[in-house]
Parts: sequence; C-alpha cells; structure tokens
Amino acid sequence: MATFALKSFTGLRQSSPDQINFVSHVPSSLSRSQRRTSLKVTASRASPKLANRSLRVAVIGGGPAGGAAAETLAQGGIETILIERKMDNCKPCGGAIPLCMVGEFNLPLDIIDRRVTKMKMISPSNIAVDIGRTLKEHEYIGMVRREVLDQYLRERAEKSGATVINGLFLKMDLPEEWDSPYVLHYTEYDGKTGATGQKKTMEVDAVIGADGANSRVAKSIGAGDYDYAIAFQERIRIPDDKMTYYEDLAEMYVGDDVSPDFYGWVFPKCDHVAVGTGTVTHKGDIKKFQLATRNRAKDKILGGKIIRVEAHPIPEHPRPRRLSKRVALVGDAAGYVTKCSGEGIYFAAKSGRMCAEAIVEGSQNGKKMIDESDLRKYLEKWDKTYLPTYRVLDLLQKVFYRSNPAREAFVEMCGDEYVQKMTFDSYLYKRVAPGSPLEDLKLAVNTIGSVFRANALRREIEKLNV
Amino acid sequence: MSISMALFSPPISSSVQNPKISFPLLSTKRFSLLSVTRASSDSAAVSATTVEIPKPASVSVEEVPSKPPAESSSDETDLPTTATGIKFQDAKWVNGTWDLKQFEKDGKTDWDSIIVAEAKRRKWLEDNPETTTNAEPVLFDTSIIPWWAWMKRYHLPEAELLNGRAAMIGFFMAYFVDSLTGVGLVDQMGNFFCKTLLFVAVAGVLFIRKNEDLDKLKGLIEETTLYDKQWQAAWKEPESSSSTLSSKK
Repeated sequence: MATFALKSFTGLRQSSPDQINFVSHVPSSLSRSQRRTSLKVTASRASPKLANRSLRVAVIGGGPAGGAAAETLAQGGIETILIERKMDNCKPCGGAIPLCMVGEFNLPLDIIDRRVTKMKMISPSNIAVDIGRTLKEHEYIGMVRREVLDQYLRERAEKSGATVINGLFLKMDLPEEWDSPYVLHYTEYDGKTGATGQKKTMEVDAVIGADGANSRVAKSIGAGDYDYAIAFQERIRIPDDKMTYYEDLAEMYVGDDVSPDFYGWVFPKCDHVAVGTGTVTHKGDIKKFQLATRNRAKDKILGGKIIRVEAHPIPEHPRPRRLSKRVALVGDAAGYVTKCSGEGIYFAAKSGRMCAEAIVEGSQNGKKMIDESDLRKYLEKWDKTYLPTYRVLDLLQKVFYRSNPAREAFVEMCGDEYVQKMTFDSYLYKRVAPGSPLEDLKLAVNTIGSVFRANALRREIEKLNV
Repeated sequence: MSISMALFSPPISSSVQNPKISFPLLSTKRFSLLSVTRASSDSAAVSATTVEIPKPASVSVEEVPSKPPAESSSDETDLPTTATGIKFQDAKWVNGTWDLKQFEKDGKTDWDSIIVAEAKRRKWLEDNPETTTNAEPVLFDTSIIPWWAWMKRYHLPEAELLNGRAAMIGFFMAYFVDSLTGVGLVDQMGNFFCKTLLFVAVAGVLFIRKNEDLDKLKGLIEETTLYDKQWQAAWKEPESSSSTLSSKK
C-alpha cells in the first residue's frame, strides 16, 4: 500500500512512463515517507526499477575514498562520475598505510616508497623505546606519496568504467520530491592550469561525498561540524648519511613541548623526511610546537633543508550526520580518522568501498533506485566493524596523551613485547585481536605500575618547584 | 599568497629550480611569516587555522635566498649544522642512565635519591627540551627502582593521610548517628542505610582528595561518554541543530 504518488521516474529526461514495474513484495505497509526517519528500516524494495538506464552516482573528491568508491561502483555496473578538483594534488599527509590495505585493495608494491619496520617512541624526558622487534619478515607499514596513490586509484576507477572529471564541486541542489535527481553545480577545468573553467551542472541520483575534511558536500546536506586537529608538517631533505638512519624507521615524539594532545613525528618519505606535529586544543601555538619537534630531532636532521611546508585539518570524530537521503559521506568528509594515531587513509578507502558496495547491492547492480535505507546499511556495517577500533584508540588517547607523566608511562609500556605485538597486530590487520588473558593481566599490572611511577615522579617534580 | 605558492614546486622533484627556502632555525619572525604560505590544498586549509600574518612583507622575504642547492655552507642554511644547546649534565648520569653505584648509602642503594635525581632531570627537560641523539641515547627505565621503594615514598604517606581522614569521619559520624538515633556502633553496622553511608564516606575520601577533584570527576565522566555520543549522533533523529555535539574539547 504505497500512498505516495509514484511519478514515472524513468530517468532524467522525459520519456514514456509505461514501463515501470514494482518489486513490491516487501513490508511496504508503512509509506516510505513515514519510514524515512525511523531507525529500523528494511530494504526499500518498493523502489522503482530504473527503466532503460543505470543508476547514476557522483563521487565528489578523488582521494583514496573517492577512488575506491568509484571503482567499486563502476565494477558494480553503476554509471559513475568522479569529480576531482586537482589531479596532481599532493595532499599533506603522513602517508602511512597498514599492511592489510595492500592486500585488500590490490595495491602494486611499487607505489610504496618505503617500508617502515622500526619505530622509535621518545618520551618527554627523551627516553627512547624501539618498537618493531615483533614484526615478522613480511610485515611493514607502507609509506606512500599521496599523489601517487590517489592517481593510481583514480586510474583504476577509470579503467573499471568510471568517468573522471577535473572539476571543482560548488554546490548541490537537493531534490524537492523523493524521486527528483540531485543537481550538482561544478566548475569544469579542461586541463589547462590556471584557466577559470566552465560552470556546469549535472543531474545524478545519488552522491558520495569524499571531498575531505572541508567537505562541501557535507555542508550542502547540513551534516554538522566536528572538532578537528591541525596537522602541520615540514618536508625536510637531509644529508644522505642522516637519511640512512631513517631508512625504515619512523619516530614519534611525545611531550608537552611537542603537542599538548597529540604527537610530533618524523616520517621518512621517498627521499626526504616529514617532520610535523598536530594539536586540537592549542592551534594557535602550532608553530611553537613545530619548532619544539624540530628541536627534539635536531641532531638527526642536522644540515637539512626545508623544501615544503604544509598543513591540513584532521577530523577528530565523525560528523553528527553522515548521510542524508541519497547522499553519503565517506573518508575524511565523514570524519573517519582514528584518535591516538591519526590514521585516515585506510579508513577512507575502506569506507568508500563499503558505501559503494551498499549502493551496488541496494540498487541491484544499478537497476533500481536506492534510498536512504540502503545507505544506512553502509553506516551500520561500518560502525559494527570499526567502532571497537575507534573506541580503543580513543581510550588510549584519553589515558596516555593527557600529561607528561602519562606519556612517560605510555613510552615505558611500549617497550613491552606483548604491547608491541598487540599494537602491530591491530594496526596492520585492523582487528582488535584478543590476546592471552594471563598476558593481559600482566599488562594491566605493568600499566598501573608505569602510570603510578610516572605520576609519583611528577609529584616529586612539583615538590621541587615549590 | 599565490606568489608564494608558486615558489613551492612538488616536493619530490629534485630539479635545480627548487628555490630553497632557507632561514635560521630560531628566527621565529621569518619562520612565522613563511609557514603561513602553506603549499597545501589551496582551498580551506588556510581558513581552518586562525593564523594571522602580515602578507606583503612575507613575499619579499622568501624571494631573497634562492641559492643553488650545492652551496650550503653559508649561514643561511635552514637547520643549524652544529649541535648547540645546553644539555642535562650530572656527575651521576652516565651513558644515558643513572649510575646506581654512585647512589650508595651505607653499602645499600639509596633509591629515594635516585627518584629525586630523576625528577630533577625530568623537570630540567620540561623547562629546556633537549634534542635526542643516537650517540647518547637515554636508557633509564624507572622500573629498576623496586616497587617497595615507590610504595614507601609515595603510597604509604598518602595512605596514612587518607586512612586518617576516614577514621576521623568514621568516628564522628558514628558518634553523630548514635546521638541522634540511639543506635550503637554494632547495630549501625547491621543497618543497610548506615552501610551505604559508610560506602559513600570511603569512596568520597578515596576520590575527592582536593577541592578541585569534584569538578575533575564530573569532567571525567562526561569525557568518557563523549566519543560514543559523537558516533551515535548519526543514528539519532535529526533534531534542531547538528552542532550541539561539536564542542567541549
């Protein structure tokens, strides 16, 4: 019993309405407009079949999220358009990808510039701990150049059948009726740099917003704001002999001087290192923190030259609304960056893929119109799979990035082999692996001990201050 | 901004035309001028931060030092070529750790003085952050100090304090309740309400040690649930505004 007026939505152009057939063997007892805001939605089998065309989906943003989404959509038989504003964009980024991403996304090994197998964590009092002894031969953290990775994923999407457009998304007209298309307004560049481009519009059935932390798609659907950190990074080319130290090693510096709520890092890139830091609460002091980070690594980057300075916001938590009708957000636009480590590339690509899979399934390979409940399935699956990971990292950040004693305890604990094994397992393979209970107990005792000692020392320091 | 943007070529190109933007490490003024001109995404990364820098002056600063890369010995290299700075020095700090033999008193190691020495070192480093170097790594591990030394120095005095507080409160409350209701100490122990009161008193003594702890606890409870709330926001009914959850950091 569908009470809504079913207009002949055969497509974006007028054509004869006599070919609609419904797949209506579903609990369509509730009208769709009533079910729109309820939390438990069943599959909208009452969606009309699209006559003589496929579902048309636009992916805004051509980073890892957009590229992965576009590829999956195109492979699923959906007419996909990928809009990216800067084809050679070198997004400021740490550039670290976990091992599982290489397998899951079939990345060729030559886009990985370096394999990091050792990490050093350095506490506020410069106690340094080596991490990575527990890694096996084939395990590593991959360092990539974003422009290379993004281009590769976009090319793969294009090969699968997506149309890649170089354009800047401006705004989007939301549909008035439930079956009207979304009208995208964008500026198309025809390949000449510096040209102003042509204003164009496009009508699509659904939109995936993969346009990053300052997402315009998110603004168009009123997704809400999130807290964000500023990550500031300088790329420094250091002399070759110093570069051998960073051959396969990355460093993390923690301390109040380096960042009050995050960490400073030295990551090796293709032929230089990236030295950076980030903060949420003290964004105005970011340059002070950057100076402090460089100071802490001074000996090891002596004689280097800064070749590039860059910064970018990093979301701290998901936006209040990650989808609205037939628009869904993925990647940084949705806010899928973990706390504590600030990892976003893998989650961006995976969420793009998951959202695209939900669309492919909901539209039955592009033959039917989708609606919000299909996209909600992607949210459900995402939250179910990854919420534990996000929660654990949030807990770690809350406990261990609070204060210098907490960071000292953190670094001390990272020296423990069990901790290293668990950390790498969960990072490289993205599973919160259950360890052995006895080791967990020992770990708990050691944690309490470390935190207690560090706090005791802090009290001693305060006594000295008086 | 666009002029300075043009100065940044792609980072991986090793072409000679890369203008080397060089400035001394501690020249904060020039540094602050330069760092604003981020070559990153030209759209809203700039708007995201609240850094205000006078723009016209910055452009001229960058254009000056465009030397060929081979010449790096002048005093305009980016990062200093000599390791400078004051370092933490102590007679008993040997090879990146405390030399336990120097802390002996009456033939036994005096753990207390090691703890104080480490605290002094950390305080020094907090005030004067030092660079780490591979030549002299810091290897000290606080767990070499035995657990009973920590207990004696930190846990026991505090435990004494808290036990004292609890005893005083307990004595006074027992007297107070007895005088009001006539229920003696032994009978109080059998009463459920009195047992609850006792539990509250013990918990209060344990968790609220200073006046500020009350607010701190409230903040902690809110903090533990905030992240979950931010994630669950996608599942709530769209209410009036969506920005209610986006503050409080």
